[in-house]
Amino acid sequence: MRPWRKKPTRFTASVTLAVVIPALIVAALYLTSDIPVPILLVVIYLPLQLIASGIAAWATKGTRGIADSVIIVNAIGASLFSVIVLVSVIGSLIVRGLRALSPHFLFQNSVYISPSTPLDYGGIGHSLVGTLLIVFIASLISVPIGIATAVYITEVRGRAVPYVRFFVQAMSGVPSVVAGLFILTIVVATGAFNQSAFAGGLAYAILMLPTVARTAEEVLKLVPDDLRTGALALGSTRARTVLRVVIPAARTGIITAVILGVARVIGETAPLLLAAGNNDQTVVNPFGSPISSVPTYIFNNVALPYPDAVTRAWGSALVLIILVAILFTLARVIGRGRVGR
Amino acid sequence: MSTAEFEDVMDLDIEGVEASTVHPVGPAEMEARDVSVWFGQRKVLEGVNIVFPKKTVTALIGPSGCGKSTFIRTLNRLHELIPGAALAGSVLYEGKDIYDAAVDPVSIRLQIGMVFQKPNPFPSMTIRGNVLSGLKLSGMKRDNHDDIVEETLTAAGLWNEVKDRLGNAAGDLSGGQQQRLVIARALAVQPHVLLMDEPCSALDPASTLKIEETIRELSKEVTIIIVTHNMQQAVRVSDYTAFFLAEEGTPGHVVEQGATTEIFGNPQEQRTLDYVNGRFG
Repeated sequence: MRPWRKKPTRFTASVTLAVVIPALIVAALYLTSDIPVPILLVVIYLPLQLIASGIAAWATKGTRGIADSVIIVNAIGASLFSVIVLVSVIGSLIVRGLRALSPHFLFQNSVYISPSTPLDYGGIGHSLVGTLLIVFIASLISVPIGIATAVYITEVRGRAVPYVRFFVQAMSGVPSVVAGLFILTIVVATGAFNQSAFAGGLAYAILMLPTVARTAEEVLKLVPDDLRTGALALGSTRARTVLRVVIPAARTGIITAVILGVARVIGETAPLLLAAGNNDQTVVNPFGSPISSVPTYIFNNVALPYPDAVTRAWGSALVLIILVAILFTLARVIGRGRVGR
Repeated sequence: MSTAEFEDVMDLDIEGVEASTVHPVGPAEMEARDVSVWFGQRKVLEGVNIVFPKKTVTALIGPSGCGKSTFIRTLNRLHELIPGAALAGSVLYEGKDIYDAAVDPVSIRLQIGMVFQKPNPFPSMTIRGNVLSGLKLSGMKRDNHDDIVEETLTAAGLWNEVKDRLGNAAGDLSGGQQQRLVIARALAVQPHVLLMDEPCSALDPASTLKIEETIRELSKEVTIIIVTHNMQQAVRVSDYTAFFLAEEGTPGHVVEQGATTEIFGNPQEQRTLDYVNGRFG
């Protein structure tokens, strides 16, 4: 029983009318006229819905209800809008790319595949391996440095904090192509390393670092000072306090920081075109040779004049989104692991 | 006011209290000498002189904002962690100034434990892990961890409630249990002095009573200094009392100190009498 859910019939009736009437009017307009759908929704439906809800609210709750209804309708409208955007992005990926998906698409490479090869052959296995390898290397570099930076800002609180903050902030504004060019010039062009997963990982690390550092800083700030003083009062050194009490207490948040860092880079194309190059072979040696990745694969195929190549590109985009979803779920599951039991 | 009247007002049995105050006044474990404290430009404590005899309980009482908590944090060098904090005077522990340049604050905090107002168990550790956390955090070596867990939890009056779920997260305990857990945690490193900053302010009467029993029990082994807003608590647990006061615009200072029975039963200062009778503060 939920007595607070009970509503008078008049209320139910007016809310139903307020929902149904504008929808009917817009549906009629859609069928009879050729006004484009977005304009129909934003210019006609939203105001109409606002007026209808306002009248309904005024009829049941008086003038006080109007402000309420305006806020509720706008909030629902805004959240529907973001859901629609997301669904249409994923929808278009599915519509155009689902045809390319098959087991061999995930596991084969593109060694004997030309853009005109039908979808029955070849795949992006080599690009998936490349993306995973590059993101792994980038995380290996940027996560420890990012967390250490956050620790410096929140725990050590040294004199350089304002400058460190400033540089981290400035770093988050570095365009991804610049990160790629930077690595290309100082790592690849100098002959230190080939275009490779390692060079690509370095470029990605530059982009990940500010995101990881700033998010980790925010979550470390959320750790109550009680825990720090509690540890210090037990005769702990500052280093042990941070390593054994503060960071474990912020574990979930730090995993979020890593997720956001990965999300920041995983679709970046420009740095990898420059620093990692391209390859149809599957490469597992992070230092040896140029390596493919999903974003560069998409980039190389999506503009080709062959329908199957374009479908493969869309299919790869779909795989990339699924990969991100899997990585995030995995990180959440690891992060949720509770103390005890 | 006579002792009888006072007992009447406070609903107390002073005779009973006196009977429990059997600790011999031994040598001083800690001593504050002319301690003054600043936060930035603001002076919050002035010229505090208190002697804490070994294995006794001293209560620090006084209205909010009079500097009791600030003072207790100077005794294990937690005070200096607050940005802008400054201090004059000296704090002696076993006859030596803990603010001497050669003294490592970490070793001081290891011997002078502290329990805070809000229970602060480490959320990333189990109950057992919390009890032993002091050993890990300070790098102290002690054998027989199982025995330490049982001993300290028993001393803190929590053993019976948690002995079957030592592996559970500390956050699953109730507030009162968490507070007794952090007392056990503080005891596991075998401190000589235990500072308690309003340890019962967030607790229900039953948990409060348990912690008070724990304090009385502990005072056979450990010197205890406790900040409290609860007059009855000060009377019930302490041997000595110091009354802090910060009158308008002036830094906090000690108005009167002495045996608890004297401070509550026969105070020399009018302000002490007014405060312990709840007329202000």
